[in-house]
Amino acid sequence: MSNAASPPAAAPKTGGAPPKYKRKLSNYLLDAKLQLRYVLFVTVLSAVIAGALGYMIYSQRHSASASIEHDLGMEFHTEMQDISQKLDADDRWLIYKMVGVGVGLVIILSAYLTIMTHKVAGPLYKVSMYFDRMADGKLGRVTPLRQGDMLQDFYQAFSDAHAGLRTRATADADKLAELVVKLKEPGGGDEGDYRGEAKSQLTAALDDLGKHVEQRKKQLA
Amino acid sequence: MPPATDNRAYKRSWKNLLINKRYQLQFTLFMVGLSTLLMIGLGIWVMKEANEATNVSLSSELGTNCGTIEVIDDTAPAVAAPAAPAQEPAVPMATDGSAAPAPSPAPAAGSAGSAAGSAGSAAGSGDVVTEHHVKVQIEESEMVPVAPPPPPPPKLRNDLLQQIADHWQCKLVTSTNIDKLHAGRDRILWVMILTGLLLVLGLAGFGIKMTHKVAGPLFKITLYLGKMRDGRLDKVYNLRKGDQLVEFYDHFKSAHAGVVANEKADIAAIKKVIESAEAAGLGARPAVAELRAMLARKEKSLE
Repeated sequence: MSNAASPPAAAPKTGGAPPKYKRKLSNYLLDAKLQLRYVLFVTVLSAVIAGALGYMIYSQRHSASASIEHDLGMEFHTEMQDISQKLDADDRWLIYKMVGVGVGLVIILSAYLTIMTHKVAGPLYKVSMYFDRMADGKLGRVTPLRQGDMLQDFYQAFSDAHAGLRTRATADADKLAELVVKLKEPGGGDEGDYRGEAKSQLTAALDDLGKHVEQRKKQLA
Repeated sequence: MPPATDNRAYKRSWKNLLINKRYQLQFTLFMVGLSTLLMIGLGIWVMKEANEATNVSLSSELGTNCGTIEVIDDTAPAVAAPAAPAQEPAVPMATDGSAAPAPSPAPAAGSAGSAAGSAGSAAGSGDVVTEHHVKVQIEESEMVPVAPPPPPPPKLRNDLLQQIADHWQCKLVTSTNIDKLHAGRDRILWVMILTGLLLVLGLAGFGIKMTHKVAGPLFKITLYLGKMRDGRLDKVYNLRKGDQLVEFYDHFKSAHAGVVANEKADIAAIKKVIESAEAAGLGARPAVAELRAMLARKEKSLE
């Protein structure tokens, strides 16, 4: 997750339509460990299957060639060398074709799996970026996933949780700011000792809370 | 209260394998479908090659010449038949003076009838035949039918048994080879089918199991996210052994810790204000009461 070149999604600080992030070839292996595990397994499986099938078809074809060679050898002694070479060339061509098909199979499956796992790794990467921001106390806006991404349900759960935290934090910050203002206001019929050290301590505490709220509001922006 | 440890051993259950059906089935079915298509294409090509190779070999085997069994030995001299009485050639008999048609030239002398026939013939042909065809008048004649001699018994070849053995040996080998070719083609077909099924089932199982290792942590995080949405910041436990997305989970734990740290900072700041307000004798103010309520809520969210 953390080995990608650059973050794909930076949360915009203002509202409006979310920016569209296009897929880039260089970012297809966002989570190499996760993605390559799938790719490697399927690649090995495909190679084994293609190899086994290839061996069987080659042995069948080779026996046919040997049979032809044997039959023709009885009638065409002189041309036998040419015939034998041609049959061997045919058998070799079959091997090349099978290798080509096997490599094609592996490439197609690997490419497919890379794309599919990218559709999983992409949202995970994006969410992990938001998680990092949350770790720093930042609860900015969340942009939706790209079209075709998987894990939409998970992302929706994350968006809901993020929105809940953000709403509550915003409400708390607003409320605290309001309470700081109220507590800074003198009077109100209070009979307490609103002077001296207690006053200065309260003022300091309210200043601290005010700064805290301001910082929180910045993080929520 | 949750236990102090970060590890809670939840065992995997097959009932929970499809924990996130949408993601897991979408991933797995697409992979299985693609593999099936590729296997079908590959199978058609392989069977085409196999059929071609098999047909070539079959043609070769069916064209194998096992030879014919020669029962009679044509090269051996005919066996001498038992001596038969000399067959008299049929001679037309003339009962009057008219000339009979001339028979074929008489064979070797020694036969009275033959000589007589020759004389008669010569007489009938006038001047052309004079001394070799003497007209013979047979007064009495007797014909004795003689049965033709039986044909000589066929001479069997000396190597007849060997020939039969070789012939059927050849037929057997050919038949065995044909069976082998059919069996080879059938084997390829069955291996193709079994391999295809194995691939599909294997990929389905692999896909579900692997996606489960991804879906499991996601499910766990989703539960925590639900709690966070509702304002409950419970303790976060570690993943199960073998789960994937360990790094991603670490990111989540950092985020959770960040939110908890924010709440704790809020709590500390609010507590400080409440304590200062109470020290200043302002504890009865509604604003302080609101701060207390907020503090209680925030403290409860961390339980």
